Amino acid sequence: MSRFSWQAVVAGVGGQGVLFVTRVLAGAARRKTKRVLISEVHGMAQRGGSVVSHLKAGPFFSPLVSPGQAQTLFSLDAGEAVRNLSFLAPGGSMIVNAPDTSYLSGQALAALYAHQVQTLVLDASAMARDAGAPKAANVVLLAAAAEAGALPFGREEIWSVLDESTPPARRALNRKLFDMVACDNLAAL
Amino acid sequence: MSQASQTKAEAILMGNEAIARGLVENGVHLMTAYPGTPSSEILPSVVRFAPEADPPPYCEWSVNEKVALEVALSASYTGKRTACAMKQVGLNVALDPVMSAAYIGVKGGFVIISADDPGPHSSQTEQDSRLLAHFAKLPVLDPDSPAQARDLVATAFSLSERFEIPVMLRPVLRVCHARQNIALKKPKAVSRPADFVRDPFRWAAIPKMRLALHQALNQKLVKIADYVSGQKKLNTWHAEPGDKKARLGILASGLPAALARDLLAELGVDPQEMGLPFLQVAMPYPLPLAQVERLLNGCSKVLVLEETEPLLEMLSPRREKLLGRYSGHVPSAGELGPDALGAVLERALKEARIKTPAPRKTVLTVPDQAPLRRPNLCPGCSHRAVFWALKRHFPGGIFPSDIGCYTLGLNQGAVDTCHDMGAAINFAAALSRSHQLDGVERPVIATIGDSTFYHSGSAGLINAVYNGARFVLVILDNETTSMTGMQPTPENGLTADGHPGRAVNLTRLIKGCGVEQVEEVDPYDLPALAKALRKAHRFAQKPEGSVAVVVARHACVAHRRDEAIPHPVPIKVAGSAEKRPPMHDAQAHQCADCGRCVEICPTASLTRTAPGVIQVNAETCSGCRLCAQVCPTGTMVLEEAHGCVGCGVCTTLFACPALVPGPGGIISIDPAWCVDCGLCRHVCAHGALIPAEVAS
Repeated sequence: MSRFSWQAVVAGVGGQGVLFVTRVLAGAARRKTKRVLISEVHGMAQRGGSVVSHLKAGPFFSPLVSPGQAQTLFSLDAGEAVRNLSFLAPGGSMIVNAPDTSYLSGQALAALYAHQVQTLVLDASAMARDAGAPKAANVVLLAAAAEAGALPFGREEIWSVLDESTPPARRALNRKLFDMVACDNLAAL
Repeated sequence: MSQASQTKAEAILMGNEAIARGLVENGVHLMTAYPGTPSSEILPSVVRFAPEADPPPYCEWSVNEKVALEVALSASYTGKRTACAMKQVGLNVALDPVMSAAYIGVKGGFVIISADDPGPHSSQTEQDSRLLAHFAKLPVLDPDSPAQARDLVATAFSLSERFEIPVMLRPVLRVCHARQNIALKKPKAVSRPADFVRDPFRWAAIPKMRLALHQALNQKLVKIADYVSGQKKLNTWHAEPGDKKARLGILASGLPAALARDLLAELGVDPQEMGLPFLQVAMPYPLPLAQVERLLNGCSKVLVLEETEPLLEMLSPRREKLLGRYSGHVPSAGELGPDALGAVLERALKEARIKTPAPRKTVLTVPDQAPLRRPNLCPGCSHRAVFWALKRHFPGGIFPSDIGCYTLGLNQGAVDTCHDMGAAINFAAALSRSHQLDGVERPVIATIGDSTFYHSGSAGLINAVYNGARFVLVILDNETTSMTGMQPTPENGLTADGHPGRAVNLTRLIKGCGVEQVEEVDPYDLPALAKALRKAHRFAQKPEGSVAVVVARHACVAHRRDEAIPHPVPIKVAGSAEKRPPMHDAQAHQCADCGRCVEICPTASLTRTAPGVIQVNAETCSGCRLCAQVCPTGTMVLEEAHGCVGCGVCTTLFACPALVPGPGGIISIDPAWCVDCGLCRHVCAHGALIPAEVAS
């Protein structure tokens, strides 16, 4: 249990549910290790500005992730993913909500390839919108990341924490969004 | 739903919740606060945990930090355990009573929580409250994490009661807004029947007595330093000095201590294996000297890590051994994040010839980053309408503003100053006075939020009226404290813990300050708002005038959306149109030479070349048609295009995030942002933003 060690950066813009995703991931991580630390951004950033939170689970003392140390970069916004790329460790995973990879320059793509970063790109916003829940792209992307094996947790581990953290009125909707995401509609880079 | 509300033995708590947990677990009886990032969640969390306590604490949002401090301080005179919380700049407001409180002391434990914001992320300054604790001669505790913050609340109460002195707890934003899993303890029942024992020589000490109290305070501080020096838990040796003198040691407190431990691990340096003595002190002032001397004796050099100012460094003996801000090893401004602190550690280790098996390197660098997204007023925010009206009707005005969401009026060019809570009113008085001294009348229109007005605006307003100042004050009244998370204000009489309060009527308060011209208006009614502003301006402009106040009242759209937008008006863009410059048709009409067109032109494309002659620079003209709209004689001519010409007026002067410019500046409406407030239909001078029903 104490061997588990995971650092992640969750990014997006105000109103996308970055902090909610981080807390779900933290809840899942707590089941694997004794110590979980999160750093959140509040205040001005909540008025539509950039939002980023850091998560460290395992033998850590501070909540801030150093550049090059995150195994996972989870971004609800394409531009914010690019801004936070420097946190990713070689061999890490990047999970991005974007219609396609056009937001990445050739240079960025080359760097991701050279450092063996697994990249999962999904238009979670469109999927959430089609499902009639435009604000729930964060849940769709979480489900997709777990489904694709891009997180150190299985799909059901994420689901159970998500379900616990959700008010009863939204649970059915989350289940629907979660089930909507199956392997065959994920496009990995 | 927060996990903190569950009665589990453990919860993942935010630092502010952890502090609140510490307060409730240690039997706080009375707590006060004024909201301010990063401290705002402490008091509401005490309210949330309160039902677990017996008796539950009394909690209040005080109108400002000085009030909060005096209420909590004097309640401790009766033996109660009390606390007050504020952000670091709030401590400046409360400093007057803080200074005396150190001399006079307390009976029940009294904890002052001042949350710092190194960076700064959401503050005017990145000042270090620990220095104010030192200045006031109060002990200060510096937690490194939510868990330690919770534990140090118990320490603070016990020190405060043992030595009858207020104790400051100073978390930084990265502690307040961190989250950590914490084992919950059952709240202690602390029985303290209120008993104010009269002791005028202490509680009402005259200056002569104050000297004796100062001397006693100095002795107390020596005793506190000695006492804390002997507390193992408050002086953590991550690695102890050995027999052989180490080339480098580390002295740290607060978050930099925790971060340094992580960074050393990343660098592959184990302080114990490498012989790198590392002392973390929980109380930087008064300095636990015995422990620090042990470190200094065991090391040739000592790296000092702390935020934000060099307090440990200033207090430590043997300064020639220290590597820190005075020696240039630690940056003197900004947050000590992983990047900055990593560089500091690497340099110090290198200078001490200590190998770093895993040196830091940036692996993924991406030069083509998107610009940081600027925060903006929420779509549908009524403040946006006010700022639009200010720029539209007083283009040459001076706009002092204040601290709150509405500082974001900067995006619309309608905020010229932002200084400290309540400053807008005094700045407006002085900025108008300075011009009036030279016989110049410039429209000066100050904006301030309702909570900020109650906090420290009313004193300025009394002063301005009394001294005959003449300007317009707009109180942006959304009936809540939005920026910090919707705390109630005196206006609605709601209280922090639901104890019965009384509403303090805003307009009656304004009138009570001596203001004769007050008008309430709903800023969603833009024509009425414009009328009220012009009327106020006329009143303030007259030599016999005074301060004119417009109360712009509308519910906060983030707080009560349905009330803020009772009648949604979906807006469409009526298509695109060709951009044309206006004509100055002085032959057909008579130019009044009023200068309004020149003043309002957002691109400075109009020049008055002779009386009644305006030259249009067609190269720079955006074709926005504002000049034709404001021209009183119809001399500036440009027909409405009934389509978007891409002039950019709505994105700059109205600055709604739902209005997105595409190729050629042609606007489209982003449905993800638009809340159908309909305000933008009043903004476009070409009639390109129109209600969707009309469009179809």
